[in-house]
Parts: sequence; structure tokens; C-alpha cells
Amino acid sequence: MMNDRQGRTHKSLARRTADSVGNHIVEVLENEDLAAEKGFLQGIDPRSKLLAVLIFSVTASLVRSPWVLAAMSILALVLASFSAVSPASFARKVWGSAGLFATLIALPAATQFITAGSVLFRLGPVAITRPGALGAITLILRVVASAGFALLIVWTMRWIDLLSALSRMKVPDIIVATLAMAQKQIVSLMRTVEQIHLARESRTLKESTTAENRRWVIERIAFVFQKSVKTADDVYDAMLARGYSGSMRVIHRTPATVRDWSYVVFSAGIAALLIAIDRMVMR
Amino acid sequence: MTDFVLKGIHQEYRKGVESLTDIDISIGSGEQVVIVGANGSGKSTFLKLLDGLVFPSEGEVTAFGVQLTEDALEDHDFRRSFRGRVGFVFQDADVQLFCSNAFDELAFGPLQLGLGEAEVRQRVLQVAAALRIEKLLDRAPYTLSGGEKKRVSIGAVLTMRPHVLLMDEPTNALDPRSQVWLLDVLAAMKAAGDTVVIATHDLSIAAEVADRMIVLSEEHRICADGTPEEVLGMRDLLLEVNLIHEHAHRHSGEHHMHPHMHGV
Repeated sequence: MMNDRQGRTHKSLARRTADSVGNHIVEVLENEDLAAEKGFLQGIDPRSKLLAVLIFSVTASLVRSPWVLAAMSILALVLASFSAVSPASFARKVWGSAGLFATLIALPAATQFITAGSVLFRLGPVAITRPGALGAITLILRVVASAGFALLIVWTMRWIDLLSALSRMKVPDIIVATLAMAQKQIVSLMRTVEQIHLARESRTLKESTTAENRRWVIERIAFVFQKSVKTADDVYDAMLARGYSGSMRVIHRTPATVRDWSYVVFSAGIAALLIAIDRMVMR
Repeated sequence: MTDFVLKGIHQEYRKGVESLTDIDISIGSGEQVVIVGANGSGKSTFLKLLDGLVFPSEGEVTAFGVQLTEDALEDHDFRRSFRGRVGFVFQDADVQLFCSNAFDELAFGPLQLGLGEAEVRQRVLQVAAALRIEKLLDRAPYTLSGGEKKRVSIGAVLTMRPHVLLMDEPTNALDPRSQVWLLDVLAAMKAAGDTVVIATHDLSIAAEVADRMIVLSEEHRICADGTPEEVLGMRDLLLEVNLIHEHAHRHSGEHHMHPHMHGV
């Protein structure tokens, strides 16, 4: 790391990449910890949670009123705060990332070039129209509401429980097995990538040019790809060695209770109410 | 009784490049065999041949009196019987642990063998208690330490109650306490009359557990086969196959050299 004249720190590409990969690994582990907390959603059966998310996702795509979509976003926030997810973290990850992404996608559609209509305000030669702004806000809120419910699944359910739920919902074994191995391999390969970059950082005495960095990154991508293929072969051998012959049997250890199914019914009721309100507002 | 017979084995890992050359050997039931050799000598391939994961380019492998071929392993009854009798602990625990938590890892093998859920649960809890890994059962494999992963990967094979245990470099990534624990597991298997075949370049584990020691040369051939005392006494051979090296150092200003090995 080097300090420039303003006292800011410059990190090399290797260090920046290693830090970034390291942060992602920490995030995966933090998600596992969060999912093990004692919160409202953590106590609900994974299948019920998946069904509820599906219900809310369909609802978010059916309703058209920005007010109803905003209410759904707030509902996701409330569920998060009852499930040991900090509202600040929720807002940063859902509104800050999914919201920002949706804004970038929706913004051009709000201009007079794409959506005609009365002008709301002007930014130099670009005019934002009233129907354009309404369409953009609706899209952004829809993305934010859907992402909020989907991420609640990630934060309040351990990966193993998600896979178990998929398996019990009759998702084909091969898909569940592929997802299980994919997540494991992603973490394992992220560790490899982090180590590769740290090893380079430890042997770097001067800053590399962009071209050198680009060449090095391409070579490392090839190496990681080869490693992932080799690992996949080895994992398959390990599965064969323990009797795998095409279908995967697992033991389900947590039966669903009345409370879990009540949550699905409650979610369906809320969704029906939101759709009814939307129809009234948009009539 | 003989568990495995290997006759005239040549194994190519790519055209013209052999990983095993001219192997003729049999392994008796209840034997504890340690295969030693330098890196790249063909030890892992040897174990994979015994487990029917690779098949010889030339020669034949017989397991429990049946020739081990791809066709033989396509047969459901033979596959189930063979996989239930032979367990393989891979060198890299990350490769072996492909399920989403340790419980599922331990349950995977017996479930694939068609055992009922109650029986599988009982086996998992029994093995977990024996290996002292009960607290790890709900953990995802990637959250475990190296020693914990090794314990879970051994447990995942022991729940299948194999008669033959194949282990590839079992002491890799093990801390001293876990290495002692591994020796206890091997002693228990020996007492139960089970067959153990270990591939390693760690000569000290051979001295601790083996009834029989087989040395693979860097040319991928068997160059010694005997008791650990006999083989470990062949200093010149062990130097030649790169399992020990000349180590030079000083004592009180006097410089001298002697053969040296690394291990536990």
C-alpha cells in the first residue's frame, strides 16, 4: 500500500481484489450466522418461507400502484427488523444496490425521448415527463420490494435449509445437488482467488501497468477455471465412491408445524389485500 | 482370504505416460497395508484402481473374487455390495465433503446404499459420537477447520461400515492431536479385522500402523514389499526413491551427514 500526497491510500489491483474476495467470503459466513439467529423468520419452516416469497414476488409483479409497492417494501423492512436483520443493513443492501441498479435501468424511460407526456422538470436538454417518472418509480419500487423479500430468504435461512426445502418441494435431485456443490465450490474457489492475489501482492515491489494487470488476471482466470474443472471431476469421484448412482437421497430433519403453514396463509391474505387495494386505487 | 488381486497392471494417465507400471500384488483380508512413494509415484492412482474409480490400461483388478470393470460396476447389486464394502477417504477433504452440512455428509453413503432413514440416523449419531464430532453436524463443511474436515470425511466413510478402508495421505492437514486420534481409528479397524490401505509419503505412520509396507518408485513400479521393519531398514532404496534424503548439519563444530525423513 502506498500513500499519495493527500494522504489517501493506493491499493494495488492484487490487494484490492484479495480484499474484495475476502469481504465476500466474510459476508457468506455472516449470512450463515444471521440465519442461525433467533428471529421471526428464522423460526419459520424453509418451505413456508419459500412459498411466502413466491406469493409476494408474484404480488409485486401484479400490482401497479406505487403506494402499494412502497407498502410492500416497508413490509419487507418490518419483517427484516423482526428477524435480527438491522434496518440500516437492509436499506443499504436492498435500496442501495437493487434500488440503484433499477434506477439506472429505469431512468432513460422517464425522459421525453422514451415516454411522451407533460413535463415534470427539465435537466438541461433532457425533460422528465410525468408518465415517464411514474413508470420509472413503479419499476424501481417493484424491484426493491421483490429484492427485499428475496434477500430475506438469504439472510434468514441457512443454505442447507434452503436446499432441503427445495428437495422437499420436489425440485429434481440433480438441481439440488448442483446448487449444493456450486455454493461449496464458489466459496472454495473464492479462497483460491484470494490466496492467488495475496501471493502476488507479497511479491510485488512496484505498481504494474494496466496491460500487465489485464494479462495476469486473464491467466489467473484460466487457472481457476482449470482448477474448478479438476475439482468437479474429483468431487464426482468422491460421490461415486460413496455409492452415488444418479439420484440423491437426503434426510429431512425438521417437520413443518401449524405455525409455519399459518405464516403462508397470513402472507397469502396480506397479498390478496394488497392486490385488492391496488385495484381500488388504480381503478 | 484375499480382498484384492492386481495382475499385470499398467495405467496410463495420458497416451504414452504411465502412472503405474507392471504391478502384480494381492491384498489379504484384515491386512493393514501402507503404500509409500514420492509425490507422483502413482499412490493415489493405485487407491483409485482398488476403488473402481479408474480402470487399468492393461491387466486386471479383482475385488472379492470379481473382476473390477466398468460393466461390473454398472450392475446395481454388485455396485451396492462393492461400495458398501470399500470406503475411500480422499486426500483433499474439500473434495470429499460435497453435501451442505456434516450430518448430510455422514448420512450420504448409507442413504445411497438404500438403508432406511432410522438406521441411517442411528449410524450417523453413533459415528459422530465415536469421532467426537456431534457439535459439527449442523455446520457447513466450508466453515470447518482442516482437522475437523478430515474427521468429518473419515466419519462420512465409516457410517457405511466398510470392510476395506482406503486412505490417501490421511495425515495431511492434521494437527498432532488429530493424528493421534487417526491412529486410534486405525487401531480400532485393525482390532475389528478390517482391511486398511493407506497411501502416504509419511514414513512414520507406516511404522506406527502397517503390517505390510509397499514402496512405489518414481518409475511407478513396486520396488519393495515387506514388513515395516524390513522396508524401513532399506536406507539406500528409500534414498533412491526419494522418500528420505541426506541431511547435513553440525554438532559442536563437527560437520556430518545422515539419512533423514519427515513425518509425524
